[in-house]
Amino acid sequence: MSQEVQEADASAGAPQGSLKITNAREFYGGLALVLLGLLALWASRDLAGMHGIAFGPGTAPRMFASILIALGVAIMAVGCVTQGVPLERYEISSPTLIILSYMFASSSGTTALLLVAAVLLIGGIILGVVGMMGPRRALVRGPLFITLSIIVFAVTMRPLGLVLASYLSIVAAAAATPEARWIETLVWGAVLTAFCVLLFVYGLGLPFQLWPTTLSWETLLSLR
Amino acid sequence: MELFHNLVLGFGVALSPWNVLLCLIGALVGTLVGVLPGLGPLATIAMLLPITFGLPPVGALIMLAGIYYGAQYGGSTTSILVNIPGEASSVVTTLDGHQMARQGRAGPALAIAAIGSFFAGCVSTVVVAALAAPLTSIALLFGPAEYFSLMVLGLVFAVVLARGSVLKAVAMIIMGLLLSMVGSDIETGASRMAFDVTELSDGIGFVLVAMGVFGYAEIMRNLEQESARSVVHAKLTGLMPTWADLKASSGAILRGTGLGSILGILPGGGAVIAAFAAYTFEKKVAKDPHRFGRGAIEGVAAPESANNAAAQTSFIPLLTLGIPPNAVMALMVGAMMIHGIVPGPQVMTKQPELFWGMIASMWIGNLMLVIINLPMVGVWVRLLRVPYRMLFPAIIIFCAIGVYSINNSAFDIVMTGLFGMIGYWLVKHDFEPAPMLLGFVLGPMLEENLRRAMLIARGDPSTFVTRPISAGLIALAVLLLALAVLPMIRSRRDEVFVEPTS
Repeated sequence: MSQEVQEADASAGAPQGSLKITNAREFYGGLALVLLGLLALWASRDLAGMHGIAFGPGTAPRMFASILIALGVAIMAVGCVTQGVPLERYEISSPTLIILSYMFASSSGTTALLLVAAVLLIGGIILGVVGMMGPRRALVRGPLFITLSIIVFAVTMRPLGLVLASYLSIVAAAAATPEARWIETLVWGAVLTAFCVLLFVYGLGLPFQLWPTTLSWETLLSLR
Repeated sequence: MELFHNLVLGFGVALSPWNVLLCLIGALVGTLVGVLPGLGPLATIAMLLPITFGLPPVGALIMLAGIYYGAQYGGSTTSILVNIPGEASSVVTTLDGHQMARQGRAGPALAIAAIGSFFAGCVSTVVVAALAAPLTSIALLFGPAEYFSLMVLGLVFAVVLARGSVLKAVAMIIMGLLLSMVGSDIETGASRMAFDVTELSDGIGFVLVAMGVFGYAEIMRNLEQESARSVVHAKLTGLMPTWADLKASSGAILRGTGLGSILGILPGGGAVIAAFAAYTFEKKVAKDPHRFGRGAIEGVAAPESANNAAAQTSFIPLLTLGIPPNAVMALMVGAMMIHGIVPGPQVMTKQPELFWGMIASMWIGNLMLVIINLPMVGVWVRLLRVPYRMLFPAIIIFCAIGVYSINNSAFDIVMTGLFGMIGYWLVKHDFEPAPMLLGFVLGPMLEENLRRAMLIARGDPSTFVTRPISAGLIALAVLLLALAVLPMIRSRRDEVFVEPTS
């Protein structure tokens, strides 16, 4: 359901006809809530409602979704009558598309969904590259690289094991700030990885695989 | 004497070597995050939640509680020495605390902050212990209708005390409630709003929301700001406050403790509000208010006592009624749920060792904080030199591994990332994420009690206003909401709750 918030946000630059938006921060904030409420109404359309005097599974979701829509409209109205504080700038379209792409790809896996995922991913990458080369680079950088770091960990954890996944993820995260220093990052990444392995695997005894399956020390030892 | 008997039981639990160690770890970690700006107790507790899986429930809760009150100590250290509030609750301490440091009286300022905090910690431990039993017996009289009304009241308090627009705070709560309904319906098991995604069929994990909104989103925001921090080398000459200092601050400590204890119990309250209120109050009752902002020792003593008292008494509604009064307590609910404990009045009767052990550990933790903190002031200040560019990748990877450890699910990590993006967006549009988390945590309980109450009343919604206790709670909620909308109070409220720009 939260996808809708992000999509609404991505299209936040669209013109709004004759309405005069004096406070963009409130207006688009309210609009996103309305869309979220509508999405929730749509998602709970098949659920049973009131069953005699008893609430059905759909009653409460629809009730709260309707309240949210009403509040969203009210906030939008506020955005049309108050003088605006300038909207704090941000640029998260690229990371949002990449996250959505991952979710579509890993959900049910039908061809149509995979196609959507591929389109979202390509769109996200293009927006990311363009953003990093464009004038809004400073705004794009943080959220984009933090997202990449998260995705890298999610994708590599199972095939590559904790050590490599952590290291790659830390290095990707470090790139989120222009202050990054490369040699420092590479060393610090190694230190942090070692700390994580000690804490989570040896300290807390979590059953994580440390190395890539085919290269694990156990496999090598058993081959001998 | 039952209270005495209970406290003995509690100390027996809290003094076991393992629990003392966990309490110490919690207090130290809390101090550490209190010192570091850009990393607060919320993000830390969210980050450490998965780690507590492997611990026994008592130990886990003792450690997490230690982080919360430990952060109140740590925040004051940096406020006084370098004029950077490590915690929102220590913002007012910078006003007089740092002035004292510049006058070469950093030692007494730190000592008074620690003494005040310790005194407040002792008093509020007793308050928690004394109020817990009677409140629990009241809570046992509550039916579904009363519980529903109480939760509504709690959420209204969160709205009233939140910063900014009332409309937006209510919207955030509703959004949290709605998000909490994703997954399976409690009564029928029907899949609700899960979009046929297997990972969503159990609902959205609480840890995911908390870590995303308070961990990842915070980092994205912090990265936008310049991270250059200059550490002032304050000279520490003589820690001990003079007799005159102690005399001047004793009243302030008492008043701060009292005010903090009350504000902590109220739903929606907490350490931040308590510190602001105590400072304002102290300035009002002072004979010479002009001294404030110029190094008045009362201006350090009162807010530091108040924030510590409030941090502890905010456990009262959680432990007795099962209702978290603020976002940190909402995380504690998450921690209890993870261990299969449903917070509420039954905790005290069914698991007295957990309940009293946690209360006793608070006093022990406070004692440890005083002993370890004053000698370690230098170490904490040196930690401020760790640049943010090294700190934030560590937070990101801890969060990722922590989330992964819950279900071994890569999808959960990406979901956390999505909530990070949502949290970042919310802040950019001036929505406060804390009420959303509160709504998210209370959602299932709220819905269940609403449904049960309606069923008992045969579908008649007037049950909420005809049952006396429920009616009283609803009336109070309506009154509060009406007060919050009044512009005069609003404008005054806004000037009190300004976000720290650290």
